[in-house]
Amino acid sequence: MHRAPPVLAALLAVSSLVSSASAQQTDRLPADATPGEIVDHVDRLLRGESSRGELVMSVHTENWSRSMRMTVSSLGTDYALVRIIEPRKEAGTATLKANRDIWNYLPKVDRVIKVPPSMMGGSWMGSHITNDDLVKANHIEQDYTLRLIEESETHFVVECLPKPEAAVVWGKIVYRVLKDPRVPEQVDYYDEEMIRVREIHFSDIQQISDRIVPLRMTVLPLDKPDEQTILQYRELEYGLPLEENFFSLRNLKKR
Amino acid sequence: MLLTLAFRNLWRNRRRTLLTLSAMVVSAALLILALGVFSGMFRDMLASATEQYHGHLVLARDAYHERRDLFAHLPEEIVHQSLLADDPDIIGRSPRLRSFGLISRRESSQPVEVMGVIPRMEQQVTSLQNQIVAGRYLPADQDNAAVIGQGLARKLDVQPGDELVFVTQAADGSIGNDVLIVQGIFATGDSRHDNNLILAPLPWVQKVLVLPGRIHEVAMTLADPMRAAAVADRLNRHMPEDVTVLDWGTLLPEMREVIAAYDVSRMIIVTILYLATGLGILNTFFMSVMERTREFGILMAQGMRPWTIRSLVLLETLMLGGIALVIGIFCGAGMTFYMQQVGIDLAGYITPVTYAGGTILPRLHAVFETGNFLVPAGMLLLISLLAGFLPANRAARLDPVQAVREE
Repeated sequence: MHRAPPVLAALLAVSSLVSSASAQQTDRLPADATPGEIVDHVDRLLRGESSRGELVMSVHTENWSRSMRMTVSSLGTDYALVRIIEPRKEAGTATLKANRDIWNYLPKVDRVIKVPPSMMGGSWMGSHITNDDLVKANHIEQDYTLRLIEESETHFVVECLPKPEAAVVWGKIVYRVLKDPRVPEQVDYYDEEMIRVREIHFSDIQQISDRIVPLRMTVLPLDKPDEQTILQYRELEYGLPLEENFFSLRNLKKR
Repeated sequence: MLLTLAFRNLWRNRRRTLLTLSAMVVSAALLILALGVFSGMFRDMLASATEQYHGHLVLARDAYHERRDLFAHLPEEIVHQSLLADDPDIIGRSPRLRSFGLISRRESSQPVEVMGVIPRMEQQVTSLQNQIVAGRYLPADQDNAAVIGQGLARKLDVQPGDELVFVTQAADGSIGNDVLIVQGIFATGDSRHDNNLILAPLPWVQKVLVLPGRIHEVAMTLADPMRAAAVADRLNRHMPEDVTVLDWGTLLPEMREVIAAYDVSRMIIVTILYLATGLGILNTFFMSVMERTREFGILMAQGMRPWTIRSLVLLETLMLGGIALVIGIFCGAGMTFYMQQVGIDLAGYITPVTYAGGTILPRLHAVFETGNFLVPAGMLLLISLLAGFLPANRAARLDPVQAVREE
């Protein structure tokens, strides 16, 4: 199984961590925080956290390039609803993530299709993000052992190694987190042979209301050097009154 | 003179000669029949393996052969090129665009291959139209029709007339999706196809994949499937560098192993049967030479050369072999003909067996193949000569003085 930290959700998740950490001085982690504490902290802050934003996803592959404008609503790490606004041909196409499941709504045929387990490793909307990336959002510490391997004036580097019994695809994940403001800078994914196969870079760090978050995420599949997916937030707001029932199949079909 | 002598000698002990002859005839005839039935089974298997999917030859870009690269496509017109269209060996051509994605009906969805075809042309290559168990084959005039494998139909719980939604990644990066109406359900007996394959009209798949006028491959049928490798070689000499024609031996490597195994078992059967026959001949001629010791002695005393004696005995065995051959081939051909026309239906006793992608049908049925006559014929003559050699040698080495005294 594909057990990557959520790419899309990761952006939201880690940014919330960071923003909270920097905004709420009192809740700031001690300087000698263990990696587990860092992750715990994220989790705690995320629970019940809701957000809504608009982003542009640009996908570049060897054979085609395209951009999609979409809205994203999320509640914690368990629920997310993404809806395409542009291009017009695909406007209304939507993805609902609820816990471990993903449904896609296809307006052209007016059908909701649940992504079967065998297709979870497949690409989401043609990007370099897999369905699994969206689903396996929460609790990376359940499957990985985290260790602070480096701490400098400016950065934390956290290494995540899979636990022996964990069913994961990555051999190792390395997070590089900026200390101040506390935002992720880069995440490296290694395969089972410890060869680096994917990098995610975070940039365009902005203050959104009382938070500091990276608004741009670049996914680089290293086996295809000419390809990449860029997610750029245009708008983002937090603390919306979204309930769990907003993330329903009925709502998925609404344009 | 020697011929007449040999012929007369053969019939001096009529009963013994007839017995040996009948053993030879029966073994040759049975062998021809057995090989014919063997070939029949093999042909059934090959036909089922190739008619379900690939055909005998497949033309595609190398990137498509190797990794099913969606973007390794070809213009649809390639199928009408004179190189393919006018080749006397090729009797069927089907342009195809293949798409891998998700098929869904209500709550359930399955990963599948949707193969876009032109029904009229696809029927020249695959025989799915004969394996429809419900509904009908792809009609020529409906743009969103589909025929679907039985296993897949069961998993999705669909009947002819039901709607399916297909979703895949299109060539422009968009999410290709559209509705198909199930027209029929096919059952090939091979679960790989029955559980995964859907046939749909070529223009429909081209639209979903956003690849207008493009195809991934041309599947072809040959008049003689055994010539596939040779025809592929010939076509490849005229192909652009990144396009290759593969024959069924390459596409279905298991089938090539089946042929190798078939050849080996054919030789084993031939060897066993003829070893027994050979011993019979040897016995007969040893007896006949022993009986004629005195006679050979007299002949030699009168001036006949040892090599003439040897030739005489060898000629006798060869003549016996020749007669056996004529009758044996005649009987064998007759039985093969019967098995080809009528055959034996075993459907009541055994079920079809799928092995190496080919299905062995529950029937005994023979085909005519030159090799199945040449091998037994050649071997019979060879074995006659070998079996005659020892007695002939013995006769030639006789000492005339002692031989004449023999009682």
